[in-house]
Amino acid sequence: MFNFPHRSRPLNVNTGKPETSPTAPAHTPGVKQGNARGNLKKEKGLMPGADGQEGAKASARRSTGINADDREPIDPRMPNLPPA
Amino acid sequence: MTTSPVEIRPGQGKGQDSNLVEMAWDPITRIIGNLGIYTKIDFAERKVVECKSTSSMFRGYSVFMRGKDPRDAHFITSRICGICGDNHATCSIYAQNMAYGIKTPKLGEMIFNLGEAAEYMFDHSIFQDNLVFVDFCEKMVRETNPGLLATAEKTEAPHADIHGYRTIADIMRSFNPFTGEIYKEALVMSRLTREMFCLMEGRHVHPSTLYPGGVGTVPTPQLFTDYLVRLMKFIDFAKKLVPLNDDVFDFFYQALPGYEQVGNRRILLGCWGSFQNPDVVDYSYERMTDWGRAMYVTPGVVVDGELVTTDLVEINLGIRILLGNSYYDDWEGEEMFVSHDPLGNPVDRRHPWNQTTLPKPQKRNLDGGPYSWVMSPRWFNKRTGELLPLDTGGGPLARLWTTALANLVDTPYVKATGKSVTITLPKTASSGEVQLEWKVPRWANTLERDRARAYFIAYAAALAVGFVEQAMARLHGGDVKVFQEFDVPKEAIGCGFHEAVRGVLSHHLVIRDGKIANYHPYPPTPWNASPRDHLGQPGPYEDAVQGLPIFEENGRDSFKGIDIMRTVRSFDPCLPCGVHMYTGDGRVIERHHSPMLGARRDEG
Repeated sequence: MFNFPHRSRPLNVNTGKPETSPTAPAHTPGVKQGNARGNLKKEKGLMPGADGQEGAKASARRSTGINADDREPIDPRMPNLPPA
Repeated sequence: MTTSPVEIRPGQGKGQDSNLVEMAWDPITRIIGNLGIYTKIDFAERKVVECKSTSSMFRGYSVFMRGKDPRDAHFITSRICGICGDNHATCSIYAQNMAYGIKTPKLGEMIFNLGEAAEYMFDHSIFQDNLVFVDFCEKMVRETNPGLLATAEKTEAPHADIHGYRTIADIMRSFNPFTGEIYKEALVMSRLTREMFCLMEGRHVHPSTLYPGGVGTVPTPQLFTDYLVRLMKFIDFAKKLVPLNDDVFDFFYQALPGYEQVGNRRILLGCWGSFQNPDVVDYSYERMTDWGRAMYVTPGVVVDGELVTTDLVEINLGIRILLGNSYYDDWEGEEMFVSHDPLGNPVDRRHPWNQTTLPKPQKRNLDGGPYSWVMSPRWFNKRTGELLPLDTGGGPLARLWTTALANLVDTPYVKATGKSVTITLPKTASSGEVQLEWKVPRWANTLERDRARAYFIAYAAALAVGFVEQAMARLHGGDVKVFQEFDVPKEAIGCGFHEAVRGVLSHHLVIRDGKIANYHPYPPTPWNASPRDHLGQPGPYEDAVQGLPIFEENGRDSFKGIDIMRTVRSFDPCLPCGVHMYTGDGRVIERHHSPMLGARRDEG
C-alpha cells in the first residue's frame, strides 16, 4: 500500500474528539424538523392563498411585529409583497 | 496507475498492420475530469480504426449514500460535479418529491426553472465559447489546417451584418483564447449568468436554497427584475452568437467536403426532459407520463431519426446498467430492492433501483479486458429487443431533437413544429425581436452537436423570459408560497428525471426505515463515455471516433488529433482535471503514480 508520511505528523490544531461519525444520519429522532407538516401554520404573516393549497399570501406581519396592521397596503385588493 | 499523455507507438502490436499507429489522449483537457481516449489510427487511409474511452477515477456515491438521511441527498449528490452540481441537486429533489409524495408550489417551481435556465446559459456559453471554440480558433486552425485558414480568409461570413465579423477567419480570430473578442465577451457573459443563477439558487454551483418541497429563495419583485435585467444583456449576446456559430459550422461543411462524417454515428439520442410545467407536475409516479410530456423540454428517445417514445415511465423502465469492460463485479446475486414499479410494471434487475455497486479495482487492460470505471448504461427498446447505447448529443442535440419531433412545447417564446423548434428572442437594447429556427439535422455528428449548443442557449434564454413573466404575474397576484412541508416516510421509492447541461440525468432512490437504502445517480457522461458492454457494443465516444476520417493536414509526427478532439469535446465530456502533455515518437516524458483504492504498489 502507499505511505502517507504527512499523516504521521501531529496536527498543530487541537480539534477535540469527534462527537459523531461521518456516516451518521443528519437527523436525530426527537429533534424538531423544519420540513415537518404543521410548521407553515406557525409562520407569522403567511395565510392560505385564494387558490387554497396552490399558494399563500403574506401580510405585513411577515416582516415586522411592530404595528404590522398599520403597514398593510392602502387598497385591500393590492398584494402585500414584504421583503422577506 | 499510469497516465500516459499523448503517446505514439508506431505499429508494434502482435500482427498489427505497420500503418496502424496507437495514439492516446489521457487526460483529455478542457473538460472536467479523467477521461482518456485510446485510438489506433491508419495514417495511410487517414482514418481512426479503433477507439476506447477510459475513466481512471472511482467515485462511489452509490456506495456511501446508503444509510444517510434522504433529505441530505441533494446536498451530497450536488458534489458529484463542480460544474453542473445544481442539476444533480435539482434531480435529487425531484426524486425526493416523488418519495415524500409532495410537489413544489408553483412559484417555487418557477424559481427552480429560472435557476436551471441560468445554468444552461452559463455552462453552455462558457463551454462553447471558451473551450470548444479553441478547437476552431485561428491559432489552432493555423496549426492543424493552414490550407483551411487560407480559405477562411477569403470566405465572407453570411451573417456579418449581425455579428460584425467580415470573414470566417475574422470569426476564428475572435475565438483565440485570452485575446479574441468573443472569448473575452463570453467570460463577461458567464459572470452575468452566474449572478442570475445565484439570485435563484443561492450559490453556484452547489445550491443553498433548493430543497425537496420548494426553495428558500424569497420571492420579491426585485429578485425577478434583477434576473431580467441580466437576462436581457445576455440575450443581446445570444442574438449574435447563433448566426456566428452557423457561419463557422456551415463553412466547415463547404470547405471540407466529407466533414459531416467526423463524429457521425447512428442517431441514438436520449433526453430525460427539463423545466417542469408548474401547472401539471405533481411528481407522482402514476402520472409521470402526463407531467413528463408537459415539460418545456420534452423527454424522449430518438432511434434512427424516429421518435420512439416520450413516456417517462417507459424511459425509466428501459434503463439497464450493463457491465462488460468496467472495473466492477456483477450484482446478479444481490438484493432486489424494487421488483415492481408503483404501476405494477416489473422492474429489471439491471435497473438502477436494483443496482448494487461492487467495485473491483484492477489494472487497465485495453486488449479485451476491463479498462474503465464507467459502467455501460443502455436503454432497452421493447419494440426491437435492442439494448441501445444512447448518447445525449452533448445535451442540446438530443433535447432539441426530441422536443422538435414530439411537437408538444408551445409557449409564447419557444414552439416545437414537428420538424424544428422556433425560438423568439424579444427586443433588447441593441436590436429588435429575433426569430431563430433550429431544424432537425441530417446527422448526429460533431458539428451538429456543437451547433445545437448555440441554439439551446437561445432556447433557455427565451424560456427564461416566459418564466420571469409567469413568476411576476403570480407574485403580483399576491402569492408568495415557495415551500411545501412534508414528513419523511419510513418506506418509499422515488425517481427524478432532469437534463444536466450535457444531457440525461436520473436519480433513483429507495428509502427504508427513513434512511437511504439504495441511491443511484446516472449523469450523462456514463452514457456517453461508456466502454464496450458485454455484448461488445462500443460506447458513444468510441462509436463516434471509430471510423472517423482525418482532415488534419499535419502528418504523423506533428499530429494533434484535432478532429478526434473536436468529436470528443462535442459531447461536452464531464468526468471529474489534468495537464496536457505531448510526447512524440513513443517517448514517455513523465509517468504519474496516483493512489487508487485497492491498487497494489507493484501494479503501478
